[in-house]
Amino acid sequence: MIVCVAVVGHQNNPLYIQSFTDADDALKLHHIVHCSLDVVDERVNNPKKSGPTLNETFLGLLYPTENYKVYGYLTNTKVKFILVTTDLDVRDADVRNFFRRFHAAYVDAVSNPFHVPGKKITSRTFADRVSTIVQSFGLSSAV
Amino acid sequence: MADPASTPLGKMLLEEITPVVMVLCTPYVEESCLKNGLSLIQLLSPFCDFTNIDVPVRTASDQPYRLRKFKLRLFYSSDIRQPNLEVAKERLKKVITHVGEKNFLESSDPSQVNNLLSRPESEMLPSWFQFFNKELVRTLSFSDHEAFDHPVACLLVVSSKDDEPVNRFVDLFNTNKLPSLLNDGAMDPKIMKHYLLLHDNQDGPFNKATKLLADMRNAFGQNDCQIICFNSSQDGKIHHQDNPWAPFKSDALPTENLGGFLNLDDLNEIKDFMQELSSKHIIPYMEQKIRVLNQQVSATRKGFRNQIKNLWWRKGKEDTIDTPNGPVYTFNSIESQIRILGDYAFMLGDYELALSNYRLISTDYKLDKAWKRYAGVQEMMGLTYFLLDQSRKDAEYCMENAFNTYLKLGSAGRRNTTRCGLWWAEMLKTRDQLKEAATVYFRICGEDTLHSAVMLEQASFCYLLSKPPMLHKYGFHLVLSGDHYKKCDQIKHAIRTYRSAIPVYKGTTWSLIKDHVHFHIGQWYALLGMYDVAVTHMLEVLASTHQSKTTQELFLRDFLQIVQKTGKTFEVLKLQLPVINISSLKVIFEDQRTNASAAAARVKESLWRSLEEDIIPSSTARSNWLELQSKIMPRKYKESNICVAGEALKVDIEFKNPLQIPISVSSVSLMCELCANPEEDANSSNNEVQNNEDRTSTSSGDINSCLILSEVDFSLEGGETTVVQLTVTPRIEGILKIVGVKWKLSSAVVGLCNFEFNPVNRVVRGRRKQHSPSSDLKFLVIKSLPRLQGFIHSLPEKTYAGDLRPLVLELSNQSKSPVKNLKMKISNPRFLYAGNQKELNADFPACLKKKMNVEKSGRHANVNKTLQNLYHFPEDISVQEETSLSWPLWFHAAVPGNIPLYITIYYEMEGVSSIMKYRTLRMHYNLQVLPSLDVSFQLSTRPSRSQEFLLRMDVVNKTSSECFQVHQLSSVGQQWEISLLQPVDSILPSQSLFAGQSLSCFFMLKDRRRSSTSEDSIPSLSHIQSDVRLGPQDNSEAFFDVSSSPLADFHDCERSSRGMSSQGCEYKVDFVFITQLLKGNSDSSSNTPLVFSHHACDCSPSSMSPISWLVDGPRTIQHNFSAPPCEVNLKMTITNSSDAIASVHINTFDSPSSNNQLINDATTSQPPEHQSGWSEIPIVNDTKIITTEALTTRVPKSLSLESVPQFIWSGTSSTKLVLQPRSTAEIPLQICVFTPGIYDLSNYILNWNLTPVNDGENQGEANKSSGVCQGYPYYLSVLESNFKD
Repeated sequence: MIVCVAVVGHQNNPLYIQSFTDADDALKLHHIVHCSLDVVDERVNNPKKSGPTLNETFLGLLYPTENYKVYGYLTNTKVKFILVTTDLDVRDADVRNFFRRFHAAYVDAVSNPFHVPGKKITSRTFADRVSTIVQSFGLSSAV
Repeated sequence: MADPASTPLGKMLLEEITPVVMVLCTPYVEESCLKNGLSLIQLLSPFCDFTNIDVPVRTASDQPYRLRKFKLRLFYSSDIRQPNLEVAKERLKKVITHVGEKNFLESSDPSQVNNLLSRPESEMLPSWFQFFNKELVRTLSFSDHEAFDHPVACLLVVSSKDDEPVNRFVDLFNTNKLPSLLNDGAMDPKIMKHYLLLHDNQDGPFNKATKLLADMRNAFGQNDCQIICFNSSQDGKIHHQDNPWAPFKSDALPTENLGGFLNLDDLNEIKDFMQELSSKHIIPYMEQKIRVLNQQVSATRKGFRNQIKNLWWRKGKEDTIDTPNGPVYTFNSIESQIRILGDYAFMLGDYELALSNYRLISTDYKLDKAWKRYAGVQEMMGLTYFLLDQSRKDAEYCMENAFNTYLKLGSAGRRNTTRCGLWWAEMLKTRDQLKEAATVYFRICGEDTLHSAVMLEQASFCYLLSKPPMLHKYGFHLVLSGDHYKKCDQIKHAIRTYRSAIPVYKGTTWSLIKDHVHFHIGQWYALLGMYDVAVTHMLEVLASTHQSKTTQELFLRDFLQIVQKTGKTFEVLKLQLPVINISSLKVIFEDQRTNASAAAARVKESLWRSLEEDIIPSSTARSNWLELQSKIMPRKYKESNICVAGEALKVDIEFKNPLQIPISVSSVSLMCELCANPEEDANSSNNEVQNNEDRTSTSSGDINSCLILSEVDFSLEGGETTVVQLTVTPRIEGILKIVGVKWKLSSAVVGLCNFEFNPVNRVVRGRRKQHSPSSDLKFLVIKSLPRLQGFIHSLPEKTYAGDLRPLVLELSNQSKSPVKNLKMKISNPRFLYAGNQKELNADFPACLKKKMNVEKSGRHANVNKTLQNLYHFPEDISVQEETSLSWPLWFHAAVPGNIPLYITIYYEMEGVSSIMKYRTLRMHYNLQVLPSLDVSFQLSTRPSRSQEFLLRMDVVNKTSSECFQVHQLSSVGQQWEISLLQPVDSILPSQSLFAGQSLSCFFMLKDRRRSSTSEDSIPSLSHIQSDVRLGPQDNSEAFFDVSSSPLADFHDCERSSRGMSSQGCEYKVDFVFITQLLKGNSDSSSNTPLVFSHHACDCSPSSMSPISWLVDGPRTIQHNFSAPPCEVNLKMTITNSSDAIASVHINTFDSPSSNNQLINDATTSQPPEHQSGWSEIPIVNDTKIITTEALTTRVPKSLSLESVPQFIWSGTSSTKLVLQPRSTAEIPLQICVFTPGIYDLSNYILNWNLTPVNDGENQGEANKSSGVCQGYPYYLSVLESNFKD
């Protein structure tokens, strides 16, 4: 299950963080997302690890903690998408697919002329869309 | 890489993994040593560490090598056992607490991440980690599965004071007292012994001791016995400059003189003894033991045969012994001996030998499933690999293997895991693999939260030091560590870690985390009782808008609790709650411009300035005045704003509550400085600075008497914004400076906000020049001046259009000196203008009525006044001190809508102030005027009698409830005579118009100038005829006089506002329609009827063409059509009523279709004349039709009635003629009729063109200088006259 998705701006400022758990663990998830930025930076600054795939946006597994797996995705505008999941065996293809849809949703949200770049995304449509994507995560692979 | 031995880990290993010497001594020995404040071991310890012992060592190989660094560890026999777990824990806790106290006091937080990184590494990393780690490792010493803590030798010490020292030596090494390690078979009890006789020089002469030594040598052997004489100094006052014992006695007091009885000879003796003990006894002993063991191992285990045998043997053993802790090995088992061999080799620096033996034994242990031992050996292998600096991979692999194996053991191997992890992490750190090291630290964390906290903190530093620094993880681990510390009640550590984490989150928008950090620091400081610091941290979270409502409540509640605990009111600069919108700051001050109400102050300055332009002294005059003043006043004050003592300065500030919970704010007031002595202040800027500092104290003191500050209390709901007006009233002259605003939040915290710190974007009203920002809030307070207060009595806020009433303006002067030379300007003279003083008490509405003997004086003067919107009060009028002046005003609600009224009153003071000679009073009112009656007029000409007009008036009552009583209709001017066509009773029996009712009336209008040839023969009584009574006819009530003030004045205003010249021109009539509202239920004045006047200007006949014509001729003709076609002669009379020469062109058509076409063109090209309320008026040419139903019969319709024309125009189809101004011409027309019938002779058009004689005279007609007129119907009946013939 996806517990948290986040959009982080190019200055590592949070643009959107949404947790999908019932428990009051927003702070913990914030910390996890915040922490994983280090790994994103590391991946970005050491391109030799991802040498053959120069324009790869998917950063892969960032941060395996005891209970969570953190995946990352980097857009061309250096906006990071972070996915925290409790599923311990996640297929890469699923995650890639998730990020692709998430990216599309993000692009639509920031294309809103009333959205101020660099400010938090407050669009309700975006939130709805994201929760739809989150809910459908992993379903496609099962079929 | 550098020599592994010189790395931190290498150093640690060389210190910690060294031979152990067990010390046994008698109480007398201890007693002698304690004279120096030291125990025996402490006394000897400094001399056990040899940095360059330089001893040749030959172990298993034949090649000897030289040992440089060597260290002995001395332990009392009682200490040689596994430390008590609880005691060890307690000890570690003490270490941490101690460090916490120490670091807490000296902690200085870097505020920026950059600062954090710029410091040298050694400074960044707290030194106590090393110490703690060492202590942690030591809790594991003397474990049974490792051999390097097993004593290599035993040192027996007996004092010369003892009775029978030789026997004492034997007693000391009594097996009962020996550590369990030696007794339970874990290690060989037969160890090397060394005998030392200690002689205290204070106890007696040396001779006795030498004798004892001889005895000892006899008993224990020549080489193993030695003597040390010490405490040679008698007074015990020797001070050692570089005290060697200090590191070994950590709890020593600084005043204690360690080793006071030891002189230099003593020290040298001890040093030599230890050196000899090491090099001559211990090292050779170990060498020998290694060689022996090595031979043994080679014999039993080395070689192919032995290996096979071993393997087979182990396999067999597997089935038999399977205890949970693995098999038990005694010291003489081959496995233990291999381990000893390895450890000895390691301690002597022969790492190759050690490694080969460790390898050998590790497989054995693995096969035996002796996991703890296996892990221990793996750990040693890893360290050996590290010290050999050979294979990094192997070293790491071994360490990881050991770590995991320990981890598998569960709680039994927990502490070993910790030690292994520490070494592993150190190893990784040495190799700059800081991230991996951090992971290892993270993995060490276990059940013990306190240790976990320290490990997490170490991990965080690894992230900080890694290249590039991983600050996010640094912060995260610090926060985690802080949480762990908090769980163990190490609050100071918790605060320290959290505070170190602040720079990471500072300046980012991760507010949830930031709030968490600050809130907890605040809470913890509060727990420690450091409320001041707690408050500063709590302040950070106060305005956290993103938090949930409950969290915000929690934050606020905790904050207020902490503040309460401090027991004082805090003054906080930049308190975030409530938020002050600095850009909303608005200062309203009155210099020469004063405002009658707050509404007036809100009006744009430019509006007032344009209004006041021509009443205040001109700008050139003012600059002269300034020049005049510049000698007296410094330039600085000229530029600053001026305010008057005793008059309040108002400041509007917007407060916003960013939270979702309500907050209460009280005692909101301005902070001001008033400098009574401007000259002094200008001279010394220090004075001002000082003022700034003790602002709060002075404001309560003497300043208070010269300043009156208003205080406002309010409470804000969640998300609410409110604008608060604060005032400050200076009482004395000087310089007033508005510094800021202060308020009290929940009556606990005082928030301060300085205006100066903020970028200036504020609107300061009345700024004449561009000032520097600081001077915007600086005011020159001048001496008290008279200030008029103005008020208009009973000005309605809401009224109906047309309302006409008198008002009273009251100006009061509260000061001690009179003002004079009053002038008043009103922005909208259509609505308001000043009356005469004698009208003040006049009876309304009776004063408006016509009086026969009234003198029409002053009317023309009034006209001039109102045109300029400016009213000069009579020169003798002045407002005396402490009196008030009432002045009548006339009010007329001219048009419906929301009408702003601006009134400015100028007045001059005499001899009061040199700085200010005049002031203006600004009044502003907003009126809401509702539509009442819609009155429209339509005028039609009668071409036959061009002096007479038909007037149609339509009135609609547009109100929803009011009932108007119609009173009269008057035409303005004297050249018109007006009369009703039908009696008003037949149209409107009730004489009143109810809501929604409409009324149409017809009047006859006569131009008196035309009717009477001479202008001067206007009789005085005839002007009554310009009014028509619409009310009850039998009423003797007088007409309202439209030709006198105020009706006439308002009418002029109407005219001028509609862009018409006041000069009435021909054929244009102005009307005033007057109604009354008897039971005025919308207003308070219910007794006196309200008068409503509606003005219509420049009504003119709708198709007012200057050319009129009349076709004249026979109406009925009898003709015998057997004869030639009937010819009918007609006469057209064309009149030019304009003042220009007209050329007229008459075109006749035979086809009606082309005619129709042309008429349409004419309609479009000539839009109907403007008349209010009548937009759709077709051109009416039929002057014959005067009745209402006739009006509906339009020309195009009559055309359609016709069939094919059965007549033709004979003669020319086009006639042209020129008409002189105001002349008439006749032209003959002729038609030919072919069959009998009724003919409409309207199929002709008239084109006319005016050539003005005099340009610019008749502007209204200039644009109408040409036109096309359709012929109007003229019906001709042609009959067959056969019968008569």
